[in-house]
Amino acid sequence: MTESLIGFAAVLFLVLLRMPIAFAMGLVGMVGFMFETSFRGSISMVARLMIDASQDYGLSVVPLFVLMGLFVNKGGISRELYQVSNAFLGHFRGGLAMATIVACGGFAAISGSSLATAATMSKVAMPEMRKYGYADSLSTASIAAGGTLGILIPPSVILVIYGLLTETSIGKLFIAGIIPGFIGILFYLIAVKYSVMRNPAAGPAGPRSTGAQRISALKGVWAVLLLFFLVIGGLYGALDFWPIHLAFSPTEAAGMGAAGAFLIALLRGGLTFSGTFEVLRETSITTASLFSVLIGAWIFSNFVNVAGLPEALRGAVTAYDVAPWVVMTFIIAIYIVLGCIFESLSMLLLTVPIFFPLVAGEGGLGFDPVWFGIIVVVVTEISLITPPVGLNVFVLKGVVGDVSTATVFKGVTPFWIMDILRLALLLAIPALALFLPSQMGG
Amino acid sequence: MDRLASLIRMAAQLPIFVSCIALFFLMAMTFCDVVLRSTINAPIEAATELTRMSIAVVVFSVMPSMSFKGGHISVDLLDGLFEKINMIRWRDAAMSLICGVMLYWPASRVVVLAKRAQSYGDTTEYLNWPVFYLSWFIAIMTFATMVALILRGLALMFAPKYVEAAR
Repeated sequence: MTESLIGFAAVLFLVLLRMPIAFAMGLVGMVGFMFETSFRGSISMVARLMIDASQDYGLSVVPLFVLMGLFVNKGGISRELYQVSNAFLGHFRGGLAMATIVACGGFAAISGSSLATAATMSKVAMPEMRKYGYADSLSTASIAAGGTLGILIPPSVILVIYGLLTETSIGKLFIAGIIPGFIGILFYLIAVKYSVMRNPAAGPAGPRSTGAQRISALKGVWAVLLLFFLVIGGLYGALDFWPIHLAFSPTEAAGMGAAGAFLIALLRGGLTFSGTFEVLRETSITTASLFSVLIGAWIFSNFVNVAGLPEALRGAVTAYDVAPWVVMTFIIAIYIVLGCIFESLSMLLLTVPIFFPLVAGEGGLGFDPVWFGIIVVVVTEISLITPPVGLNVFVLKGVVGDVSTATVFKGVTPFWIMDILRLALLLAIPALALFLPSQMGG
Repeated sequence: MDRLASLIRMAAQLPIFVSCIALFFLMAMTFCDVVLRSTINAPIEAATELTRMSIAVVVFSVMPSMSFKGGHISVDLLDGLFEKINMIRWRDAAMSLICGVMLYWPASRVVVLAKRAQSYGDTTEYLNWPVFYLSWFIAIMTFATMVALILRGLALMFAPKYVEAAR
């Protein structure tokens, strides 16, 4: 246990010195494993992991879902998602901010990344909200908070990695994210409503769209809705058009989604040869950086396992007879604190191998692994807008530029509170996450 | 020196191009596999094998260039502090050098594993392709990443303009 704690401290120290997270976890894991076993054993473990992880069939889902999001984005769909949401909600007070939240939810349905959702939507929604005189605090906060939906509403890269780490069905995790995702949208809409009730000047109402304008706006997004239903329906095994029955594994769903997104972008005329190359290059780089973090985390996790941390934690919980909800509250508190320092994926990779055996593994506290996955992702979402790091806030600041982080964090407060309420709701009623997966076969 | 830098830049584009082709191939093959299986019950038998190979090519091809450009995920929480004492460049150089040097041992071990796979004559299940090709590829690209990180560290210390230009 002491070795593991020293290891954690060393990772934290190196990460704060800005060593890439993958290398910090890899280096500490390698040295720690060497102390626990031998030099040769440690180097062999690292080399074997590098070869095996880079050829893991299950992990192929990661680049394909990243590719899908980037292709759809290249097709200009983010603007149209915003326009359609705006056509239905823009005439309410705070309506443009509400439209931003709904469009973020829509974009999340084709993109697996919160940072990508926030970065993309800020380019589309921010100029529009400024045009109508929205307060910077409300407009930036709605994008930063709406962007967090990217990792919960399927497809989600974080859920894929959680599924692979814990051997939990990725299909079930995706389906389980749908209802909490919708609750997230609803709660964020309430947060916008509250913000404009307190300060009506922060979000003046826009002009009302006509019926014809709404129908014309809807025409722009049908292809993406179809793509979402193809991917999620195929994962659910619910696409039965006799004689064709479509049931996908996660990799197949991701491949179909990426190819479908490529075709949509191509048909909409948004894709040139150089544009395609750019998307592929960007996806390759994102994939390589995700895989390095993953390999680093696996090395570190092998070290803490050899050092016996999960067993020590389980032993401590049994010895002191701690109630499961106390353990869960403690774990959530740790996630929120770590979220102030770590990037979401690294935080997940660093902690799940330790907490999962305790919470949902064999001989653990008996929580459902799918439910725990959703809880972990919701807490990660909260960390994305929690000061001082709140990565989504910084991504937004990078794109918008002339807004102070203090302004964004101030505006984000009602959204953060709604996130905490949503977390409490999911903790109190696990069926919100587990009902849909329980209806799936397998 | 500038000519050498532009030559290296051009050479670095080749693995990125290979990675893009592998990724596009992966997408197209998965799509064809699902369509063929669902419509005429004729899936691509070697799809799993090809997927595994493509993914390794995608990941390791871009690793050296990404590492040189500083594309790995990192946390910039203390940048303000380091900026105040004018140490950002030296800190980044030190980190790059440590990361580069630490890669030497795993990379050497991957070479040993590749040699072993070659001597055993291991082949893939469906296509019967020798396994060692991919193992050697991973070994070479890991060494290239190691060199890229060490060069980045040295460039940050003595010629930071090359790191800036590569971004």
